[in-house]
Amino acid sequence: MRILAIESSCDETAIALLEAKGQSLNLLKNQVYSQISIHKKYGGVVPEVAARKHLETIIPLLGSILGKDKLKNIDYLAVTAGPGLVTSLLLGLTAAKTLAYANKLPLVAVNHLEGHVYSNWLTSSDLVKNPKKFLPALVLIVSGGHTELVLMKGHGQYQSIGRTLDDAAGEAYDKVAKLLSLGYPGGPIVSKWADKGNTKAYDFPKPMLTSPNFDFSFSGLKTAVLYTLEKKKNINKKDIADICASFQAAVVEVLTTKAMIAAKKYQVKSIMLAGGVAANKALQQSLLQKSKSQNLPFFYPAANYTGDNAAMIAVAAYYNVVAKSGRIIKNKDILTLEPEANWQLSKNKI
Amino acid sequence: MPEYISKNVADTTKVATELAKKLTGGELVALSGNLGAGKTVFVKALAESLGVKDVITSPTFVLMKVYVPDNKKINKFVHVDCYRLEGQEDLSDIGLGDYLNDDKIIVVVEWADKVLNLPAKTIRVNIDYRGGDKRHIVID
Ligand SMILES: Nc1ncnc2c1ncn2[C@@H]1O[C@H](COP(=O)(O)OP(=O)(O)O)[C@@H](O)[C@H]1O
Ligand SMILES: [Mg+2]
Repeated sequence: MRILAIESSCDETAIALLEAKGQSLNLLKNQVYSQISIHKKYGGVVPEVAARKHLETIIPLLGSILGKDKLKNIDYLAVTAGPGLVTSLLLGLTAAKTLAYANKLPLVAVNHLEGHVYSNWLTSSDLVKNPKKFLPALVLIVSGGHTELVLMKGHGQYQSIGRTLDDAAGEAYDKVAKLLSLGYPGGPIVSKWADKGNTKAYDFPKPMLTSPNFDFSFSGLKTAVLYTLEKKKNINKKDIADICASFQAAVVEVLTTKAMIAAKKYQVKSIMLAGGVAANKALQQSLLQKSKSQNLPFFYPAANYTGDNAAMIAVAAYYNVVAKSGRIIKNKDILTLEPEANWQLSKNKI
Repeated sequence: MPEYISKNVADTTKVATELAKKLTGGELVALSGNLGAGKTVFVKALAESLGVKDVITSPTFVLMKVYVPDNKKINKFVHVDCYRLEGQEDLSDIGLGDYLNDDKIIVVVEWADKVLNLPAKTIRVNIDYRGGDKRHIVID
């Protein structure tokens, strides 16, 4: 089965071509056009600029992926339908709807977060060959817009067990980077500084660490950094490194602790990390170490699949088709598909 | 122009709840104030007293979240965050056109100073950081 997938939920325009057969995934093409360099100068994503860039990029990208065969050997189209920026989602959705309808191909509307979950399947052939061995899994989804603990019982079966009550972890990184005037995107910059700092220099709050549930809160951590900066007259490089290291240690400790408690409570067979913040080395190391001590397999996506990409959307679509679990749309129904900016992973699945 | 000194989250919640009681639908509430001032804290309280049962989370990343409150008069509570904008756009550019000036809808905008052409009858709320947990709130 060949799947052509399009992803445009935020500031990357991405297209991938996947050939999937039983227990093998063969990624034939995978291209990501990132707008980060464009949005850098604004310190964030500008929706109008993002939408315009998606529009400029999508057609040439499609052309280069499909070549002269066009859609001849494609069985399914897949597209990210949410969550994300409505204005960005619309571009990918319009392209996918047009291609699917005009060529009489079924269209799979994929949840972006489910895509992130399946970035682990792109990375580990063990998961592809023998998913039963590792499911149910506890998935920690962390990105700029999401921080959520999800119990994955099988393909397409998710149960949300905890989430952030205010800011997402990735957002906290971005905002701390902003408070320290370090630039955009905040995640990689803050963790780079953190490598050179002392994690114990500041005793930042570890929000909700001991709360009897699986929810998170990161807005107070941002304020704690703000208060620290207000108290200091001037800050030098060592202060920045120490603040970043202490901040990151707080985030990682809360995420890891809650994930491990949840893993135990739900008696999962593995732990998975997913989303943009999955690229964070400190978080990977912490989860790896803790899951090792509990004899639990731990999966995290390869670096090139942590960010937004269409390969993960194609894989999610494949398992949607296999498990008959997702939103597979045909014929005229394709035309009524709309972006769902706040599409939650579990509401629609259980 | 009411002014308040808030010493903690509970105080800020009280001010927001008071404002919520005065809203009848169709209003636009525009919040300004720096990172960590407590804009989202304010919106959470506002939403809750208008009958939003879902947890309000920061819309910074997706720009806008729409909630359906349990309220006879108001059927949508729209939470917008312009943090990522650069002051080039107005509310209709970011897809808000449908929600404005509808008396069954309340729109609340964080970082309202980053968006152009707010309607004249906008309710403006400014939160200033005053050291520690102290905040100065002005509603106008
Ligand atoms: N008096 C206060 N009013 C509001 N928030 C306060 C106050 N004192 C401390 N805080 C804390 O400040 C933080 C405000 O965060 P948030 O509402 O996300 O800020 P903003 O949306 O303005 O960036 C919260 O963690 C809150 O607990
Ligand atoms: Mg906020």
